[in-house]
Amino acid sequence: MSALARPAAGTPQADAAWDRRRVFLANLRSVGGRAYPRVHGLFREPSWVLFEILLPFLTTSAFVFVYRALQAPPEYVGFVVLGGAMTAFWLNVIWMMAAQLYWEKDQGNLELYFASPVDMMSVLFGMAVGGLIMSSTRAAVVLAVGAVVYGVTFTVDQWGLLLLVFFLTLAALYGLGMMLSSLFVLWGREAWHLTQLLQEPVYFVSGLNFPVGRLGFLGALAVALIPLAVGLDAMRQLAFAGALGPTGTPPPEIEALILVGMAVTFTWMARVMLRILERLAREKGRLSARWR
Amino acid sequence: MSEPHLAPAIDVRGVQRVYQAKPKDVVALAGVDLRVEPGELFGLLGPNGAGKTTLIKILTTLLLPTAGTASVFGFDVAADAKRIRRIMNMVAGGEQSGYGILTVREQLWMFSQFYGLGRREGWRRVDELIEAVGLAEQRVQRVSELSTGQRQKMNLARGLLNDPWILFLDEPTLGLDVSAARTVRELVVEWRAAVPGRTVLLTTHYMAEADELCDRLAIVDRGRILAEGTPVELKRRVQRESVFRLELDRLAGGAAALAALPGVVRAATMSDGAGEVGRERQSVVVNLVLDDDAALGGVVGALGGLGARIVALQKSEPSLEDVFVELVGRGFDDEAVHHGERPGPPPATLAEMTHDTEEAEPLGSEVTR
Amino acid sequence: MTARATAIPAAFDPGRAEGRGSADTARGFVTAALLGWRMEANWTDPLLFFIYSVAKPVASALILVFMLEVIAGPGARDLRSFVIVGSALWAFVMSGMAGLAWSVLDDRERYRMLKYVYVSPSDFLVLLVGRGVARIAIGAMGALIVLAVGVVFLGLRFDPGAVDWAMLGLVLLVGLAAIVALGVILAAVCMQTRQESWSYPEAVAGALFLLVGAVFPLAVLPLPAQAAGLALPLTWWLEGVRMALFPGGRSAIGGEGSLWTAWTGSAAPDGGAIVGTLLATSLMITLVAAAAFRVSERRAKDRGLIDRTTGS
Repeated sequence: MSALARPAAGTPQADAAWDRRRVFLANLRSVGGRAYPRVHGLFREPSWVLFEILLPFLTTSAFVFVYRALQAPPEYVGFVVLGGAMTAFWLNVIWMMAAQLYWEKDQGNLELYFASPVDMMSVLFGMAVGGLIMSSTRAAVVLAVGAVVYGVTFTVDQWGLLLLVFFLTLAALYGLGMMLSSLFVLWGREAWHLTQLLQEPVYFVSGLNFPVGRLGFLGALAVALIPLAVGLDAMRQLAFAGALGPTGTPPPEIEALILVGMAVTFTWMARVMLRILERLAREKGRLSARWR
Repeated sequence: MSEPHLAPAIDVRGVQRVYQAKPKDVVALAGVDLRVEPGELFGLLGPNGAGKTTLIKILTTLLLPTAGTASVFGFDVAADAKRIRRIMNMVAGGEQSGYGILTVREQLWMFSQFYGLGRREGWRRVDELIEAVGLAEQRVQRVSELSTGQRQKMNLARGLLNDPWILFLDEPTLGLDVSAARTVRELVVEWRAAVPGRTVLLTTHYMAEADELCDRLAIVDRGRILAEGTPVELKRRVQRESVFRLELDRLAGGAAALAALPGVVRAATMSDGAGEVGRERQSVVVNLVLDDDAALGGVVGALGGLGARIVALQKSEPSLEDVFVELVGRGFDDEAVHHGERPGPPPATLAEMTHDTEEAEPLGSEVTR
Repeated sequence: MTARATAIPAAFDPGRAEGRGSADTARGFVTAALLGWRMEANWTDPLLFFIYSVAKPVASALILVFMLEVIAGPGARDLRSFVIVGSALWAFVMSGMAGLAWSVLDDRERYRMLKYVYVSPSDFLVLLVGRGVARIAIGAMGALIVLAVGVVFLGLRFDPGAVDWAMLGLVLLVGLAAIVALGVILAAVCMQTRQESWSYPEAVAGALFLLVGAVFPLAVLPLPAQAAGLALPLTWWLEGVRMALFPGGRSAIGGEGSLWTAWTGSAAPDGGAIVGTLLATSLMITLVAAAAFRVSERRAKDRGLIDRTTGS
């Protein structure tokens, strides 16, 4: 059996000494490895198209008709469509990032990840990349179909800034997801319930379908703490330039800076949390239920 | 870190592990010392809850010892975890890791990426291992559709993806049927033998498996190593007398004649050839207990005088179960009895299903000198 | 090996294989409901109570209230009552529908118990419905809290003396059957899908939200969507509960531009029409649910999905 009889590369000590390039490549490859099941799994369940794209689009449409019933100005319909698109990322972050490590622990994958030679951050990045690809499809469909069906007109003066804000929002969102994933493992079964807490209440304080500035102090707090809130507000200001009037929130340039701060902080916190998780796991034996 | 080129594959010194729990803490390891040399297939044999898995978790860098030190190929489990992870892998019995939605091939490839194999190199390695473990037909089958045996073969392939120097196997044949368990065992033996220095630490509570596979083993119970050595050495520890199964064409004077010989402690007739009405007379089987092996020469020499000719002679070995019972004072399955929770006779032991039980339960009369 | 003394009866009683019909069914249902209650509705845990019965439903209502505020200002009291009531009732619908589907996913993917539930002598569907009861109760609590928040903080006018209690009781009962039926359909779907289908119930509920006039009158929808809405029992259930609780309020079904008014010439359906149509549509959806569940169960058994765990 040739696979079993592969010649040894050297000594155990030599094989354990990876240079920086090898460490970097291994971590890079593990990002792709962890993204693989998400991307490929996507196409193995056809029901996904119905449940992840069509039905969420109808949910978004319900809010469009609320504004229509109120005879709201057309840009408000645009808010709903944009909010509906960004919801895809938020749901992905809380369900398939924040709660994911908890699932991985249940399935016995978490200890294999920790026992592998790559950094757990790479595994989390892989989850994020796979999740991003999954939810981008949904977001793009909601945005494109919503814009066409409901006649949304975008007025963009600063395309570059809009794109930058979009990517910064994703970076901050997935950074938050990576941070929460470790916390959720530590919190155990409550993780499922905390995920629930991060849905409607966060939609509300983020001003999912209305300008977050109308929430006053609560809105300001959300803009300072929740990437969905600040990202949405900045994108609304940029995608419907001039249509909003005074929003009561900082200009998009400032919000972009807030997003940079969030992306860096959350990603750094994710790393810190992972270290804490690993330390607690190794000290207290919390990585699996099957210890003895 | 000790000098790498001289380092043992595993070096455990005074390792303790205590889990905080209510109402009182649980001591999983109560001071373990262990040394495994490169190239060895070392077994940890013990009942559930003995601390075997805890020791594996410590050595695979998933758990820190509460006290003591442990190293793998000279790398300390606390300080050099990353290095250890590059040269080791682990497989547990009943493992459900991975993602059911992937095929076997994809699942293994995904794990190959966590060990830094290049994209194409990963696929090639996966295909080789799938072939090697006998999963070629299931290559594109979804993981969720595999049988338990197929799943464990896949897990073993996963454990070999990075061509580790040391493989930790935690009850790898748990729940497998005889054929699948044999395949897994054969693969492990073949893999280890292929390259000098490849080391295996195996935990099991199947004594026959430990006996068959391990170069050396340690018997573990309640967080302590009770005995360590080769299977033969361990069995010899409980065998203070030499026991032989002697088959003769006839025996004038019966077992008593043998019992009277110098160096013979006991002689018992297992089968005297009588009672075979209408059939050719059968040979006589005698269970012979000697002071030591040297006494056998005298017995053989005296047989001619007793008109007997040897048909067969076999030395009876004690089983590892006997070793365990001797060391712990109970069998593997007797924990509840030990705690006074389960009344009634002791259950059947694994030894009863192995070939090592011939010396038990003499059928005929027994004569003691 | 010596046999141990156990409580095994001297002879097998063939009567045990027959079961005891409805008594077994009732016992299975009650056991499953109690199990679900212990797992999902731990009222001693303030966090769980806050999440499911306060934070989620109240936040959902507030999103709509603020949308209304932004456009119509504080003057649109009539509309505000409409959306608060619709939103409160929808919390109940969501919990009821999702509860059953999540029972399938929970028991299969997390607790790995679905196969044992399936092979138990009780009817699988009855056990699943029993497991979902706790979430229905959580949803009912959420709906009541949203209505209370609406009355106390958001200017919702409620006169207990004006409530048509008989109609409310009848409509709630029939509507509950329809909600459970929708939940059964979702459970049937989740039996076929993978671990990530946690969000499916909410996706379906969200899509139904568009069609049933929960927070806006059907008249603003295109005609085919209105027709679809009129075929759903939830539309009539919401209309019935609204009419019973807040008589004289705005109708979601009738009104200018609505398909109902175009068909019948009446401004809004009366109580008889609402109850009658609710009964008919609920019966239909119950039959569909029973058939869908049996088909899904057969397919799951055929493909070995009962004890499959997935994930990506």
